[in-house]
Amino acid sequence: MSVILDHLPELWQGLVVTLQLTAASFLGAAVLGVVVTALRVSPVRVLRAIGTAYVETFQNLPLLVLLVLAVFGLPEIGIQADLLVTAIVVIAVYEAAYIGEALRSGVNAVSKGQGEAARAIGLTFTQSLRHVILPQALRTVVQPLGNIFIALTMNTALAGAVGVIDLTAAANRVNLVEAQPIPIFVGAGLAYALLAACAGFVTGRLEKRLVVLR
Amino acid sequence: MKKMLAVLAVSVLGLTACGETSNTAVPAVPGESKTAAADVLANAPVAEAAAILPGSTMEKIKKRGELLVGGSLDAPLLSQQNPATGQVEGFDADLGKALAKYILGEPKVKIVNSASETREALLSNGTVDVVFQTYTITEERARQVAFAGPYYTSGLTIAVKKGTSGITKPEDLNGKKVLAGANTPAIPAIKKLAPQAEIITFGSDPECVQALKQDRGVAYVQDETLLIADAKKDPSIEIVTKPFTVDPYGIGLKHGDDQMKKFVNDWLGKIQGNGVWQGIWKNSIGTVVTGDAPQPPKIGSVPGS
Repeated sequence: MSVILDHLPELWQGLVVTLQLTAASFLGAAVLGVVVTALRVSPVRVLRAIGTAYVETFQNLPLLVLLVLAVFGLPEIGIQADLLVTAIVVIAVYEAAYIGEALRSGVNAVSKGQGEAARAIGLTFTQSLRHVILPQALRTVVQPLGNIFIALTMNTALAGAVGVIDLTAAANRVNLVEAQPIPIFVGAGLAYALLAACAGFVTGRLEKRLVVLR
Repeated sequence: MKKMLAVLAVSVLGLTACGETSNTAVPAVPGESKTAAADVLANAPVAEAAAILPGSTMEKIKKRGELLVGGSLDAPLLSQQNPATGQVEGFDADLGKALAKYILGEPKVKIVNSASETREALLSNGTVDVVFQTYTITEERARQVAFAGPYYTSGLTIAVKKGTSGITKPEDLNGKKVLAGANTPAIPAIKKLAPQAEIITFGSDPECVQALKQDRGVAYVQDETLLIADAKKDPSIEIVTKPFTVDPYGIGLKHGDDQMKKFVNDWLGKIQGNGVWQGIWKNSIGTVVTGDAPQPPKIGSVPGS
């Protein structure tokens, strides 16, 4: 236990980076995810194809591969950003595929009549999505989105492999000096579990508050 | 739901994949392709029957017929799996084989890929018998494991992209971005000598070299041997300092196993005396470092060993 207390500043710094990674990439993934959903349910065939290609590409590639490619491959063609920024963008792009799919399931859960009615009163595709479909769709997918959020939190640990000093990488460094992996990694694990528990709690509350009784 | 299942499956797969890589056991049957290594091993001594004490770890290994070594598969010159032959080659790997020969009469080892976060646990729960993995002897570690040796001394040095100026000693790294291998002794060493340096770590040596060439950092701190090999392969990087640390590598053993420690130390003394140690050095590190094998460090000369 004292190992953790002795190295609290480093571990805390790692936790802050993990939180930054999680918050920023979830935000990015949410925005991109909505766009992907819009593409996938759009009436234009080409747009649907683009949406499908996006989802299939990013769901079928391991995140670690994407991270390594972005960190070491992109500089070869002249695109180079800060490591943390690169990691945030890659995780956002990757998770957007999952968020897009979760949202699409929500859109499919909204009955067809709603969309038809929206169009019947003269709303455009974008307007009907924004005012009629998405607000209902989002309510049904609060829980899956919470799960994606938790998965994303855990996935941020992979950023440690490309030079970002997140909680996992910080724990690794502390262990390098102290050689006490069990307390150190159990401590880091508890921090992750706490983050996941918070996310679970919040989504549970949100779902209760947002539920539409029909 | 289906997609969520997919998410779950993907994350579970990811986890198991990670678990597998760190525990894959690779059989390393030596003496098939590398004749130089085989020649050296042919001269390696075998322990007298009396040295294998009844009830000892050595006897257990002998009964099993195979030495379980914790090591790396990706450390050039030290312990690297040759993709063509599947064999693990290098200084650490060959010493492991020589120790196996000393106990078993034949160099039969199984290398369990271990990492610096798992070595202590692997030794204490008996998954491996010994660890040969650039395992620097420190007093903190000596509280968890026993160290035979030291069997080799190395040091950290600094490499930069050719043409970089202003870095001639470790203190010059202050305020700069410095690359280091994750889980290497370079991290605490940089923190001590250049506390203002920003340390960026990558998992493997090739990744660090790539990052150096892409200006992710201005300098790369790593074991001298590895950097010499890197600089030889890649003319765009150069080494700018002499080694500025002394890292004595020990052979990790189960904590408190004094019999085994004495046994391994005796073996180490023998192979240093009859030239096998030097031969192994020549075949591995000696292929990039010119000159004769260095004087091996004195056994038991380091606190913790």
